Amino acid sequence: MMQHDAMTFRNVSAGYKQRKVLNNVSFTVREGEFVSLIGPNGCGKSTLLKTAAALLKPLSGKVELFGQDVQHIKPALRASLLGVVPQKIESPMAFTVDQIVMNGRISSMGRWGTPSSVDHDLVERSMIYTDVLDLRERFFTELSGGEQQRVALAMVLAQDPKIIMLDESISHLDINHRQEVLQILMNLNREKQMTILLVSHDLTLSAGISDRFLLMEAGTLVKAGTPVEVLEPEVLSRVYNCDLHVQQDPYTGYLQVTGAIDSLRRRQKLNRSVHVIAGGGSGIELYRRLLIEGYDVTTGVLNRLDSDAEAARALNIPAVLEQPFSPVGSDTIAQALKMVGDSDIVILSQVPFGSGNLVNLTLAEAALNSVKPVFLADGIATRDYTEGKAALAFSTRLMQSGAKVWHSMSELMTHLQQQPDR
Amino acid sequence: MKRLKHSAVCADNSFTTQSHSRASLRMLLFFAALMALLALSMLLGPSGIGIPDVESPSGSAILSLRFSRLLMGMMTGAALSASGVVFQALLRNPLAEPYVLGVSGGAGLGATLTILAGTGVVASYSLPVVAFLSAVVTLMVVYGIASQGSSGQPSVYSLILSGVIVSSICSSIIMFLVSTASVEGMHNVIWWMLGSLQPVSAGQQLLSAVLLFGALAGIWLLSPRLNALALGREMAHYQGLHADLVIVIGLLFATLLAAIAVSLSGMIGFVGLIVPHVMRAIFGPDHRKLVPLAALGGGVFLVLCDAVARTLLAPVEIPVGVVTALAGGPFFLIILQRRMKQAWIA
Repeated sequence: MMQHDAMTFRNVSAGYKQRKVLNNVSFTVREGEFVSLIGPNGCGKSTLLKTAAALLKPLSGKVELFGQDVQHIKPALRASLLGVVPQKIESPMAFTVDQIVMNGRISSMGRWGTPSSVDHDLVERSMIYTDVLDLRERFFTELSGGEQQRVALAMVLAQDPKIIMLDESISHLDINHRQEVLQILMNLNREKQMTILLVSHDLTLSAGISDRFLLMEAGTLVKAGTPVEVLEPEVLSRVYNCDLHVQQDPYTGYLQVTGAIDSLRRRQKLNRSVHVIAGGGSGIELYRRLLIEGYDVTTGVLNRLDSDAEAARALNIPAVLEQPFSPVGSDTIAQALKMVGDSDIVILSQVPFGSGNLVNLTLAEAALNSVKPVFLADGIATRDYTEGKAALAFSTRLMQSGAKVWHSMSELMTHLQQQPDR
Repeated sequence: MKRLKHSAVCADNSFTTQSHSRASLRMLLFFAALMALLALSMLLGPSGIGIPDVESPSGSAILSLRFSRLLMGMMTGAALSASGVVFQALLRNPLAEPYVLGVSGGAGLGATLTILAGTGVVASYSLPVVAFLSAVVTLMVVYGIASQGSSGQPSVYSLILSGVIVSSICSSIIMFLVSTASVEGMHNVIWWMLGSLQPVSAGQQLLSAVLLFGALAGIWLLSPRLNALALGREMAHYQGLHADLVIVIGLLFATLLAAIAVSLSGMIGFVGLIVPHVMRAIFGPDHRKLVPLAALGGGVFLVLCDAVARTLLAPVEIPVGVVTALAGGPFFLIILQRRMKQAWIA
């Protein structure tokens, strides 16, 4: 086996003027590998592709294609090493499919831009591979999204590159063409040792076809390895911030990653209410997640005009409200205590404490007294603006009486699921 | 030739061959029409249609005058139209043209200053050069303003917006200069601004012709890359082009063309915007064909407009810029409406 290094990232940080997106990423893809790049939206997958293709210059570190620094490879040579199928290509002018695919040969054609018979053959073969030959006289702009994607793939195949990177390019395809395109990619991978780097959101599909996975989170590479190594439920659940299950299909041996459907099913069974102590926008994400999971949510005491109060109103969450910018009074606390009495669980968000809302902690105390589970967000010390760190002292007391601490949303949701039914 | 060979490869696909021969027929008709229109414009004069008596000195003078106006029209129209093709391709925007980006305005300002400052031979040679330089400076200013706040490439919208602003500033300065100029200077500038194909000096014509052919050849060499850039700078980069370099060179050539047109004939609108669209609608967007065809079409269109301009209200001559829009507008609108699908879908 040959096994050259096709693409190597060496401590690459990259991004845009004011925003660093990739943070010290290192990995190697060997020639002939089929690699899936996964990670939640906005974690830097597209930036990684752009850096690999020298569209973005790394802020530090370097990217090598077959041992050469990609920043120093001549564009025409680079195009023969690496082809990129973007998420979508757009042609404002009415080019025919023929003309679009011929663009793949642009850097190999002579100065006069006249295609040779080799160029025509490669274009024709790529169009046959991707099943767009029948569309060759049609206007690219008139095609459906899936057809356009196949034309884009044909164009990149016409480049005849050694590596192909696809940026979620197959997500628009209908199921038969997706299978077909994947089959094409697998054939190229097997027969021509073409190296494939596929950005994918379909973890199950990728698990079936990839040699290796690269898992990204917030600009860093969290894990690299075989599908079995990377697709661990704990890691995935943390990175994707939701509850995911990984199962092995008993017939095919393929890994299956599922999640959303389980949560939906659970949602109908839930008959539990959670009271959230929040403020200053710290509750919004909690409200959203709790509602999605199917809990009945109440909240308070909040000040009117507080962003959490606005969010609660928008989400139809019952809330006890105090006048704007006023300390929480005894009337409102009494109302909130009644709400806590009706709820099963109390959660404290990452709300900052001052003298005005310190009294909200008595709600948690009341819940503990009536043996209800209470969850406190980690790091109260950093959000305690009361004199003499009163909130910190109070929360320490609460923890001694049985309140639990949560650190991340997915951890909290797991805790909640483990609570016995009422 | 290559296309024919290509269609032979897939001979089973009769649709391909058929559409190729239809395209060839269309091309043939187009050239025949161009020749006929050029001949017609040689025959059109204040006295109606007719061949002037070549034997008589006045007749041959008329004919030679008409011929030099034909050359002026061909050069100006070709320059404007090809310039429009390039701007539209590079900016991927159907509204792009020399006027919108402020390039013509900048060239106009430079030319106005030259006309007001100098006289005689020096002015006539320096006009295209000054026009080009001031157009380039304007383009750089527009590009600079548009790039502010964006990382790297400015967006098309900010380019067009800053182009429109800079363009109006240029025309305001021209107006100011005109209002403070001497009567003679004012007369010269206003005549020139209205746009006319009055022949300029032989020297300037020659210089312009050389620059024009140089720029057209350069653009034609770029044309396969213009095709690739139609899919955007990012995709062109992935396909192995020096995308930014192609954009800069293309913009410079297009600016040179606009400057040539402005220095030859003043401010003539419409041609640079609409002729590229019509040519694209008829012959498709492949720039290898589009660039020469648009240059030819733009030239003949302007020649024809000039023939109408000097004939319609003879002996009074209508500014040719008026005719381009008034007569050409409706005609082109009909073509575009019928074939818009093939021109621009955005």
